[in-house]
Amino acid sequence: MLHLAVQSGVLEPLRELFGDLIGLNPVLLQLLVFGLLLGGIYALAALGLTMIFGVMDIVNFAHGSFLVLGMFSSWWVSSTFGVSPFLTIIVSVVLLFVLGVALSVLTIEPIIEKPEENQFIVTLGISFIIIALLEIAFGADSRSLGIQLGNYQVLGASIPRAQLYALVIALLSIVACWAFLYYTKLGRALRATADNRDAAWYMGINVPRIDHLTFGLGAALAGLGGGAIVLFSPVDPFAGETYLVKAFVIVVLGGLGSFPGALVGGLVIGLIEVYGSYYLPGTVYEIVIFGMFVVLLYVKPTGLFGAEEVSR
Amino acid sequence: MTSDRASFARARDTYSRLNGTPYGATVKLVVGFAFLAALPQLLGVSILGFSLGAFLSVNVLIVTLVYATAGQAWNIMSGYTGYFSFGHAAFFGVGAYVTSKLSVAFGINPWIGLLVGALVAGVIGLAVGFLNFRYDLRGHYFALATFAIALLLQVVVRNMEEFGAAVGIYRPFPGDYGAEFGLVAMQFREPNSYYYLILSFLLVVTVVAWLIKRSQIGYYLFAIRENEDAAASLGISPFRYKMFAIGTSAFFTAWCGAFWSMYVEIIRPSTVFGLTRNVEILLPSVIGGVGSVPGTIIGSFLVFPLSEALRVSFPDIPGLDTVVYGIALVLIALLLPNGVISLGDRLGWGESDEVNRESMSGEERPSDDD
Repeated sequence: MLHLAVQSGVLEPLRELFGDLIGLNPVLLQLLVFGLLLGGIYALAALGLTMIFGVMDIVNFAHGSFLVLGMFSSWWVSSTFGVSPFLTIIVSVVLLFVLGVALSVLTIEPIIEKPEENQFIVTLGISFIIIALLEIAFGADSRSLGIQLGNYQVLGASIPRAQLYALVIALLSIVACWAFLYYTKLGRALRATADNRDAAWYMGINVPRIDHLTFGLGAALAGLGGGAIVLFSPVDPFAGETYLVKAFVIVVLGGLGSFPGALVGGLVIGLIEVYGSYYLPGTVYEIVIFGMFVVLLYVKPTGLFGAEEVSR
Repeated sequence: MTSDRASFARARDTYSRLNGTPYGATVKLVVGFAFLAALPQLLGVSILGFSLGAFLSVNVLIVTLVYATAGQAWNIMSGYTGYFSFGHAAFFGVGAYVTSKLSVAFGINPWIGLLVGALVAGVIGLAVGFLNFRYDLRGHYFALATFAIALLLQVVVRNMEEFGAAVGIYRPFPGDYGAEFGLVAMQFREPNSYYYLILSFLLVVTVVAWLIKRSQIGYYLFAIRENEDAAASLGISPFRYKMFAIGTSAFFTAWCGAFWSMYVEIIRPSTVFGLTRNVEILLPSVIGGVGSVPGTIIGSFLVFPLSEALRVSFPDIPGLDTVVYGIALVLIALLLPNGVISLGDRLGWGESDEVNRESMSGEERPSDDD
């Protein structure tokens, strides 16, 4: 019984993959393209989460709803005023930044020193509020921009343009975040706070202000991600949970607070999902992803790029 | 007004005298459960044209008690030791799936299924606990690791045809494994019996939670919560007691899952193992007061009937109840970070040593990065 299951469930897909590798089946290239594109989106979705996690040590359960809010605001401005969806991403970013700072001042700051379950409850409450408000405003139906940007053809693989643009946006924002963190004074203050909050206080850094900035930037990155996702994917108020769960896996895989980690983590998850759904039956690729998640938490909880001394 | 205040003071005196007696907690337990037992009958009573039944149904009360019970089980693990589990849906789901599968496929009585499911969940709990404590995961990492286990079980079950894959398992008919509807079959035709069944589950778990808290083990568990290293240096084996806590907690959480599978029409991987289920299990305790036995039950009655009453009150605007619910969560966490039970402390209904231990948790809990 078990033997049969292993034979049909694991060996067969492996044999198939091996055959495709030997025969240089063009489908491999196509899958690689799709995997990288999807991974870029996942990385973008995880960036804000890893930033807030890394600096403030807060598990932000509202991140999924931030993403959905970003998708909706971009979609709504674009479809109401006829603005190009590429420009409306800016609206999402600004909106989410302002919202993030406001939420940080009003709700996160008072409890940041309190038991951690309060952070769970506050961010979950915020998440419920945002999703329900979106449901009241736009209904539970799925919406989409309905734009067709077409495909590029490269070496026999087709690359959907909308997703390619989203990937480019992800890469640019990762580079921008990295430059901000490593080449500006404020970025250094942010890294100092992430490294040691108490020491940062002593060095004259206004830690609460850094927290507000971090939460605002984390939310703004979710706005950016949402604006990019809505280019090619329909949106409904409940779309955030999938991205939130994937973002958790990516953040742990890449290491808390690590931007290159988020990118690599996102690409790994994207590739597993695309290759896995092609070669493995059903949604077995999910077992691979979450199994990896569990094993990783035990074996290397600091992730691929995380600092060794991260508190655990 | 003055007479009100005088009678309040008298009631408070009686309460504190009651509290001081050795049987105080027992009396409170009996009175509390007597009230809960009378609750379905009180729904129909109308006072000045206002009746609870307009907002609540027995079904809402059943859901409330399911989460009070699961929350109480969660409390034994996470409330007492401070290791915050975000994955108790794993145990809930195992209880539900084992019970359903055994009765549908083999005609095995759900009571046996409940026991088997609880044992399986207990073993899984011990395995998870062994890994978590062996690799010394704390804080957010512990929460994420438990969450990951629930997610993993969800995707595994979703990919197994034997467990109905994504569709799930329909509730079996009692005739398939028992004689008729009734206690033996764990299925009833009317909700009141379900209510009393889950109330008795709650009673069992509450008594167990209370006994553990009052025992030597309970003191050890709270010592671990306050300062694990100090506890270890006093010769307590944190590992052993944490394992006891997670095993017990998982065992009883599975009971709720078993009950759930006999109560609802169908169980699905996305619901019994889902993110929301994880939240719903820990919410009562967090709202009521982490580590507090009565607080968990109070918390459950604050959260679930509120949400339902809001839904009934604003039927035209779907989602409005969730907005108010979310605001309530945020406000409770902001204003009462040690749970609603700490309100009694603030108002000066000084409880004895029991609450003192609880009120410690807020400010003085050492941070994880030490």
